[in-house]
Amino acid sequence: MTDATNEPAPAAEVGTATKTIGDTLLDVKGLQGGYGQIQVLHGFDFTVAEGEVVVILGANGAGKTTTLRALSGMIDASGSVTLEGEELIGKNAADIVRMGVAHVPQGRGTLPELSVEDYLLVGAYVRKDKEVAADMERWFEVYPVLHERRNQRAGSLSGGEQQMLAVARALMSRPRLLLLDEPSLGLAPLIVQDLFERFHHINEETGTTMLVVEQNAQLALSIADRGYVLESGTISIEGPADQLMHDDAIRKAYLGV
Amino acid sequence: MSARFVWPANSSQARAYKSVGWALLLIGLVLFAFAYADTAQITVLDNGYALSLPRASKAVAFMIAILGLQVVVGYTGQLVLGQSFFFGSGAYIGAYMVADQNWPWLLSLVVVVPACFVIGCILGLPALRIRGLYLALVTLGMAATFPAIVQLDQLDEYTGGAAGKSVSSDLVPPSWLPLDGIASILQNIPFFGQYFGEGDLTSSESERIWKFFLFVFLLAVCMWLVSNLIKSRPGRALRAIRDNETSAAVSGVHLAKDKTMSFGLASALGGVGGVVYVAELGIASPLDFTQLLAINFIVGLVVGGVGTLSGAVIGGIVIAFVPDWSASTEDFPGIPERWLAGPTGVLILGALLIILTFVLPGGVVAGVRRIRARIVQIVPVPPEGATPPPPSEGEDAVLRREAEEISAGAAANDPLTEEPHA
Amino acid sequence: MELFLARLFDAISNGSTYALIALALVIIYKATTLINFAQGEMAMFGSFIVLVLATEQGLPIWIAVILGMLLSAVAAAGIERVLIRPFDPYDHLPLVIVTLGLFLSLTALAGIIWRFDPRAFPRMYPAGTAVTIGGVNLSWYTVGVLATVLIVAGLVTVLLNTTKVGLAFRAVSSNLESSELAGIRVGPTLQFGWALAAAVGTLGACVFVADPIRQLEPTVMVRVLIFAASAAAIGGLDSLWGAVVGGLIIGGVQSLLVPYTFIPNEMSLAAAVVVLMLVLLFRPSGLFGTARVERV
Repeated sequence: MTDATNEPAPAAEVGTATKTIGDTLLDVKGLQGGYGQIQVLHGFDFTVAEGEVVVILGANGAGKTTTLRALSGMIDASGSVTLEGEELIGKNAADIVRMGVAHVPQGRGTLPELSVEDYLLVGAYVRKDKEVAADMERWFEVYPVLHERRNQRAGSLSGGEQQMLAVARALMSRPRLLLLDEPSLGLAPLIVQDLFERFHHINEETGTTMLVVEQNAQLALSIADRGYVLESGTISIEGPADQLMHDDAIRKAYLGV
Repeated sequence: MSARFVWPANSSQARAYKSVGWALLLIGLVLFAFAYADTAQITVLDNGYALSLPRASKAVAFMIAILGLQVVVGYTGQLVLGQSFFFGSGAYIGAYMVADQNWPWLLSLVVVVPACFVIGCILGLPALRIRGLYLALVTLGMAATFPAIVQLDQLDEYTGGAAGKSVSSDLVPPSWLPLDGIASILQNIPFFGQYFGEGDLTSSESERIWKFFLFVFLLAVCMWLVSNLIKSRPGRALRAIRDNETSAAVSGVHLAKDKTMSFGLASALGGVGGVVYVAELGIASPLDFTQLLAINFIVGLVVGGVGTLSGAVIGGIVIAFVPDWSASTEDFPGIPERWLAGPTGVLILGALLIILTFVLPGGVVAGVRRIRARIVQIVPVPPEGATPPPPSEGEDAVLRREAEEISAGAAANDPLTEEPHA
Repeated sequence: MELFLARLFDAISNGSTYALIALALVIIYKATTLINFAQGEMAMFGSFIVLVLATEQGLPIWIAVILGMLLSAVAAAGIERVLIRPFDPYDHLPLVIVTLGLFLSLTALAGIIWRFDPRAFPRMYPAGTAVTIGGVNLSWYTVGVLATVLIVAGLVTVLLNTTKVGLAFRAVSSNLESSELAGIRVGPTLQFGWALAAAVGTLGACVFVADPIRQLEPTVMVRVLIFAASAAAIGGLDSLWGAVVGGLIIGGVQSLLVPYTFIPNEMSLAAAVVVLMLVLLFRPSGLFGTARVERV
């Protein structure tokens, strides 16, 4: 939580002027889901447009992670979730990945025994084109640590490095939609800052659409276009990112003001 | 779904239901014992199936061993595949005490129980550090080495080597027991009397009946002890260990002591079963106690129902009779005779294990309980002043309540729902 | 000295066989964290198929072996699909029960089909001595078995490290959920693991009974399974080369440790189990295995 006496840092330039936001990519209607008999999501709607960064905020237990798991097919869900018109509900996780959804799970989901290079290859598992090696080289350029440790166990990287590796893994599949589950979890503030700058950069450079679930509202909103607040399985607040940033209720709750 | 009869636990109907149940069981046992005091055969499809007290006594021995497995596998959650080791130990120790030291059978238990308990605790010590499947592997290894151990030359005088240790069981019924009287009463039952033989019981028949009831009594004592253990504080500790070891340790359960105790208790029960086995059979031979028996015990445990007491009874019956009766089946429509000459009993047990895991993981007992729950349900009475819980709908109710708690807790945590301070 | 060398060669030949079965166990364990207690019986069944192919169909022995390995692989893929996949991969108890059920069923089935009279298995390696060292004959059999296990371990390592399906296998072994999120189809990958393990297992059983002093009958693999499982656990249940090392260690326990400590020969299985217990007490993940951290 940020220090209660500080003003929130000025929102980073989202640069809507330089960024193109396209049509609705992800359209979610009446999403319900949970774990067996325990229903966590009680039916809500939201959308994500192409090129957008959308943030979902909420307290523990509100259903943020469950939402992402419903989208990526890890749990059973009902309602309608369409990706550019194609329905995701009812499909299994492997098929959803092939449709262009990449999910970086909470806790990064590292494959610790694999080498960094193998890990990135796993990310590209569903691809059949010949540019996989080129993509990997690009990642090594952008994030030299990965290059230095390309043959080392993924588990030997630091927390922040593993988070970047996990994101790189997800992007190796050239997804249409990137799902990030609490990327700041367990990481030091400076590293998290760096991380979010990189996310912003990726979104600007490649136009990858991102849906980010976060507890660290300030940072998340600073790179986002729009946001939703999830509360007990339904959406309570929604709006453009800077509007949410200045919303009194949110500021009290999440920004300690 | 609600049963046809729902009775609170301390009502007169519930008590009557339970008493009648026990009475019927007792009568059934008496009828069974007197009807099958000599070897009887049932003929089905040209095959003769032996149904006799000695075999039933063997089943009782297995039941006690499986009861031991219930303690360590069912209630403590540790997969142990070595019960045949303790069963065999009990058999050999018992045989030695009675044959060589001339102790009466029941007294030999005084040696067998602590011996097996202690050996179990000692062999259970590694279990403290060895987890899950490793433990299963090590205990399977133990079971496999038992025949070699008892055939060691150094132990020959105690164990009789490969030929085994024979012992005559001299369990003679006391003269004050009116066995002949009961026999003649049963013989005079109109219509069914013919099944109970004619005239007085021969000495071997009355001995068999006496032994059978001794063994059943022993089984009942063991079941009573285990059932009390389950309800007590140590029992709850064991179940906590089964559900999540780390949580249990964090909650103050003394892992090492309780796990070791459960091992010791299971081994002791295995030993008691072994004593019953050799008292009935009259000989302890090494190849009776191989890892195949250990796996059979697991079959009995699973088929009966893991974590249930009556499951041990059903399991014992299954593994005592299925291999036997399969071997007796020489003629079955549709199956070539050549096939029936093989170990079909083992195949059936193996198939049962697989099928039940799919269809009825709780074993036969779970199936019976489900059926019985539709007819009679006895509801526990809440303590004074408490509000009675809603009628049990099974697991759903528990999960729903948990879900409500989670949502309520989440709402309580949610900063947005807090009242702004004035 | 001669006696030592003779025993050493025994240790190598037995140990290599145990290593092959241990390899099979490790492959399945890596993928599923499950010990397949039926592995030995599956291998035994496979070796019976090989025997039938070699004797009744008259195929040359190595062709029969390869064919038998393929058939075992297919059967194992079927077993995985029908008997294993329906269960929650994280819940071990039902899965172990199923493998125990398979153990019983396969032994019984083999006994029903082929009876229990021991049968001779064709030689897989040339008869006679390869070389004489220190006055003791080193048989072609010993050399052959050792070479076989090293080649197989090498091939499996290459398979897992260079192919796409091998990558999927390693990913699934490392983190099931993350692999799913990368689009890997877990079911077929596990099937591949079971098939590979079954093929290696069948080869191991064939090699075991190809020793002229042994014969094939349905219970032949029961003791071997325990030796092999001990070997796998000592080496580390998720380490392929650990299985090889473990196998040789167990071979050493049986043929070197037991005679030299005057433990009776029949107690060699007990000795192996004791060694297993000791190793697990001090290194719970075996010699080369990776430790698993448990979270509350």
